[in-house]
Amino acid sequence: MKIYWQYICISITCFMLNINADIINKNVERVLDLTSQLVKTTYKISVEDLTGIAVKDYVLIIREPNLSYISAKDGFDNTVKLQKQESENIQEHSYILNFLKDSPKQSIYIETVSTKNLLPHPYEIKQNDKQMVKFVGNLYLYSIYKTITQKTNVILSSSNVLSSTQIKPFSLAANKIFFGPYENVEKLTEEELMIHYENQSPFLTVNSLDRTIEVSHWGNIAVKESIQITHSGAKLKGSFSRYDFQKDGRSGQSAVKSYKTYLPASAFCVYYRDTNGNISTSNMNLQQDYVDLDLRPRFPLFGGWKTQYVLGYNIPAYENLFSAGTDYVLKMRLIDHIHDNMSIEEAVISIILPEGSANIKLDTPYTVNHRQNELMYTYLDTVGRPVISFTKRNLVENHITDFTLKYTFSKVSLLQEPLLVIAFIYIIFIFTIVFLRMDLSITSHSHKE
Amino acid sequence: MEHMQRYLSPVNPAVFPHLATVLLIIGTFFTAWFFIFVVSRKNSKERPLIKELLISLCASIFLGFGIVFLLLTVGIYV
Repeated sequence: MKIYWQYICISITCFMLNINADIINKNVERVLDLTSQLVKTTYKISVEDLTGIAVKDYVLIIREPNLSYISAKDGFDNTVKLQKQESENIQEHSYILNFLKDSPKQSIYIETVSTKNLLPHPYEIKQNDKQMVKFVGNLYLYSIYKTITQKTNVILSSSNVLSSTQIKPFSLAANKIFFGPYENVEKLTEEELMIHYENQSPFLTVNSLDRTIEVSHWGNIAVKESIQITHSGAKLKGSFSRYDFQKDGRSGQSAVKSYKTYLPASAFCVYYRDTNGNISTSNMNLQQDYVDLDLRPRFPLFGGWKTQYVLGYNIPAYENLFSAGTDYVLKMRLIDHIHDNMSIEEAVISIILPEGSANIKLDTPYTVNHRQNELMYTYLDTVGRPVISFTKRNLVENHITDFTLKYTFSKVSLLQEPLLVIAFIYIIFIFTIVFLRMDLSITSHSHKE
Repeated sequence: MEHMQRYLSPVNPAVFPHLATVLLIIGTFFTAWFFIFVVSRKNSKERPLIKELLISLCASIFLGFGIVFLLLTVGIYV
C-alpha cells in the first residue's frame, strides 16, 4: 500500500513538471491565398490541453522562407505577443505565444505573408505565353504538438491547375483546392504541398524604395519616393513585338501596363518623373479618403524588365505634425502604398527635420536598422538639418503603419531664414553706401560749384 | 500625444503668394527710394548717413521677408 502511494506521488510530480506534454492541436484550418504574387496564409488553430491544465505558452513553427509579416490574435480578438526564438535554420521561424487568459482551450488566429515563394515555372516565357507559377509548401501544419484534424483551403488566381499534390481527401472547385480533413497527424510530420498553376497577376518587386520625408515648420511635409521596380515573374524569351502587343488582347497578359498607387487624401502638388523628366501618362483621381494615382510606365513591364521613377507630393503639416509648446511629434506612415500586393526588397526611409531640432526620439512599429544620423544642407541652411534614416528589408502592405518621431524645436528658429536673407541684402546696401562715399578719382576735382 | 494639438503654420499657407507680392512691392519701393536718395544729392558734403541706413534697413526687411515667402510660394519649403 505504501509503495502504491509513493508511485502516485511520483507520477503527479512528473506530471506537474511536464506541463506541455498533453497539448494538442484539436482543429487546424488553414487558408492559403495564392491569388497574387504573395503567399498569404491564415491559420485558425484550436489548442487544447487534454489534462485540463490552462495553456499558457504555445510554440508555433512557421516553415516559410522569406517570411515578411506575422501577427497573432486569440479567440477574443486580442493581439497575442509573439516571441521569436533564435534558430539556425533560416527557413524555419519559431515563435512562443503567451496567452493573456488562462484556459485549457485556446484558439489562435495567425496571419502570415511571405514573398518570393511563387516561382515562375517555366522560368522564361514568350510574349504570348501564359505565366505559370509553382508553389511548394507544407500540406500539414508543422507543429511540435499532435494534430487531431486539419484542413487546408487554397485559393488560386485561376482555375487552370497543371498539377498539384494529390493526397486524399482533396477536391478541386473552380479556382479553389480543398485539402483534408486529415486526421491524427503526428507531431513534426512533413508532407510537401505542391501546386503548379496559372497566375497572371502582376509580379512586381520594388527593389529599392528611397523615401524622404522633409518637414517644414512653415506648414508643409514634402514626401519624395525614388522607386526601382522589376517585373519578377517569368522572364520574356525572344523579342518583343509591339504590333502583337497592341493588336492581340491575349498577348503579354503577364506584362504590367499600369498600376495604381494610393496617396494620403490631402496630398497635393503630386509629381511622377524619371531622369528624362515628367512621365505624362499618369492620372490622378481624388477620392473621399485617398488620392488614387494611375501610373503607366513609359513601356509595359515584361518579365525581367525594370523601371525607375520618382514620385513626390506634399501634405499640409497639420495632418501629421502635433505640438505642445516646444515639443513636437511627427506621426506618419513609415512606408506607403505603391501598388496592390506589393513587395519591397529594401526600403530606406529618411526624415529631414528643420534646422534647430533637438532631442530626437524615433519610435517605430517594428524593428528597423538604424543608420548614422546625418546633416543635410539645402536652401538657407547654416548648421544643417538633422536627418534620421533607417532601413528595413522585405516589406509588404501589412507594414503600412505609423511611426512617431518626437523632437523639440523653438519657434524663434523659424525666423532664422528671413533674417539670413535680410542680413544678406542689408550688407549689399551698406556696401553701396560705403562705395558711394569713397573717392575713387585719380585727380582731385578743382571745379567749384 | 493626447495633450498635443495639431501643428498649424504661423502664417496660413494660402496667403503666401499675396504676402510675397505685397512685401516685394514695398521692398522694391524702399530700394528705389534709397537709390534715388543717394544719387540725387546735389551737395556731396551733405551725407545724412542715418537716413540712408534706415531706408536701406526698411528695404532689406521687406525684401527679405518677401523673398522667403516667394520661396515658400513656389514650393521651396525652407
